[in-house]
Amino acid sequence: MSGADALAVLRERGPDRAAESALLGEWLLAQAGLGEEAGEVTVAPGSAGDGVVLADGRVSGTLQRVPWARDAARIALLADGLVVVVDRAAVTIQPRVNLAGDPRDTVVLDGAGAWTGARMDPEELLMRGALTRIALMAGALDRLYEIAVRHSRDRRQFGRPIGSFQAVQQHLVNIAQQVALAGVAAEATARCAGGFEVAAGKLLANRAALTAGRAAHQVLGARGTTREHPLGQLTCRLWAWRSEYGDEHHWSTRLGAAVARAGADSVYPAITGGSTIVSV
Amino acid sequence: MLRFAPSELTDAELALQEQVRQFLAAELPRGSFAPGLGMAAGRDQDFSRALAARGWLGMALPRRYGGAERGVVDRFIVVEELLRWGAPVRYHWVADRQTGPLILRYGSVAQRDRFLPAICRGEVSFSIGMSEPEAGSDLAAVETRARRAEGGWRVSGTKLWTGGAHENDWFVVLCRTSDEGDRHQGLTQLIVDLRAAGIAVRPIAYLDGSEFFNEVVLDDVFVPDELVVGEVGAGWEQNTSELALERAGPERWLSTYLLVEQYLREHGAVNERAQAALGEAVAGWWGIRALSLSVARLLDAGQAPVAESALVKELGTRFEQDVLDAVWRLVPEDPDPVAESLFERLLAAAILGAPSFTIRGGTNEILRSVAARALRA
Repeated sequence: MSGADALAVLRERGPDRAAESALLGEWLLAQAGLGEEAGEVTVAPGSAGDGVVLADGRVSGTLQRVPWARDAARIALLADGLVVVVDRAAVTIQPRVNLAGDPRDTVVLDGAGAWTGARMDPEELLMRGALTRIALMAGALDRLYEIAVRHSRDRRQFGRPIGSFQAVQQHLVNIAQQVALAGVAAEATARCAGGFEVAAGKLLANRAALTAGRAAHQVLGARGTTREHPLGQLTCRLWAWRSEYGDEHHWSTRLGAAVARAGADSVYPAITGGSTIVSV
Repeated sequence: MLRFAPSELTDAELALQEQVRQFLAAELPRGSFAPGLGMAAGRDQDFSRALAARGWLGMALPRRYGGAERGVVDRFIVVEELLRWGAPVRYHWVADRQTGPLILRYGSVAQRDRFLPAICRGEVSFSIGMSEPEAGSDLAAVETRARRAEGGWRVSGTKLWTGGAHENDWFVVLCRTSDEGDRHQGLTQLIVDLRAAGIAVRPIAYLDGSEFFNEVVLDDVFVPDELVVGEVGAGWEQNTSELALERAGPERWLSTYLLVEQYLREHGAVNERAQAALGEAVAGWWGIRALSLSVARLLDAGQAPVAESALVKELGTRFEQDVLDAVWRLVPEDPDPVAESLFERLLAAAILGAPSFTIRGGTNEILRSVAARALRA
């Protein structure tokens, strides 16, 4: 699966292990010269900060919040600045989940045998991961928008569709705006995944997740708050993805610092020219 | 469903952007003028003439009227650069943005010949005569009335919030010419000479003490037939299309841009709070600009993105206020409107100007209704 195809799958179908494996795991292995063998590869998102130690071809330490580690064939991580891969069979999995109940396992490495690849800047992995989350979030927001608009037409109270009330219309407008921004973020980063675009895109997606999520729940009322309702499944994942691969604080300070370094005269050129002007 | 499709600028469009940037750096270098906030910037007819000489006024108008026959996106690029520079756009602003396209679309051949070349040369200025004391968001409630007279109309009534009436040449007045039928019928647009007999212009002091807005009282003002725009009685449709398609431009999200740039110039982004505010603002501009540009593309494709325009204006104007709040919070003391620091002056101007961002050109509440109608359809 090509990168662009996998991003499209993530946006259209939601969390898809094969697409995420193609975009992150297999990509990481290819970057590190570790080949593209069959089987799903999941990536430990924060391994550079997890304090994993590599010695004599063996890794030790604890990886946090690894997506679907329990189901993956292999787990890729960064240890001492190098890309490292271990077999799932060689590690201990402590099942954990995110807000939506999706696996985000703790992985204990106790001298697990590892294939060691090339160096990689953890920032590069962070960018790539954020790219996947922007696509996922834009897709979830597309569906959230449809659910909210449909409900506002179908649901009747006081003898008329709730969408005919101005107070509800304001929520729909708010949702439509945020969904449009997240859509722009996903399309622009799929076209050009420079640091500027990813930083700005993740910020917009995160903002949209919070704003549109709150508004959509208000439109759906109590119905949207059940575990089975599609809206709740979307918002729970949106809230979880918000903090994966860089939250608002991370990306806003980083983007702001980069633009400030470029200087006052470069602020507008950066807004129009993105990563061709500013290095984030 | 919404039709936002982000796009890149073409090589020709990027070349135009570069030309405008070089022009501004050469003709209007930083430090040589007092930059303003978006549409509220200064007025300088010589500057407007210089833009005209480059072909950057009336850009979308046909060549036979002195225009450049360029599209909405090209105008977007020029306007964006002017506004973010804080350039004095006020002399030509309404004529270039609104009156020119209105006259091209609905005006008579004689009106086009008379006004469009002058607009393209930067030699005529217009104001807008829509709002009245009893007609704000409910524009169809206008009470200014035109009565038939020999060879034209006699107009009486009061227009309110008419920006620049004291300094511009003409204004386009929406008035009632008939009481028959629905109240959206019987309205007509007239081009009225702001120096005509019977016109009294009274300034309204805005929050910051400036006197840009006016009350314009028309007392039996004669307007000849040849200055009726389009059809008598068709003023509502003409006026609505004029408003709807001019809503989503860069002026709706750049009003506080210069504040951020100047903060950085004077203070730098030395701490995390400032960096976070700058990052959030830049990301917001990046996204909203893409939406706004996609509306311009739709207009160039001959579509009428009414809902998209309303959404972008509503979003953009609130964003302008959010940017202001974020910058304001970085500053420990309330700013002095006449301080030596340009940043401090811009901050004061932005604070005092911000309430109007979400009101002018259609309140956000009205815009939400316009957009919601399309979303639910």
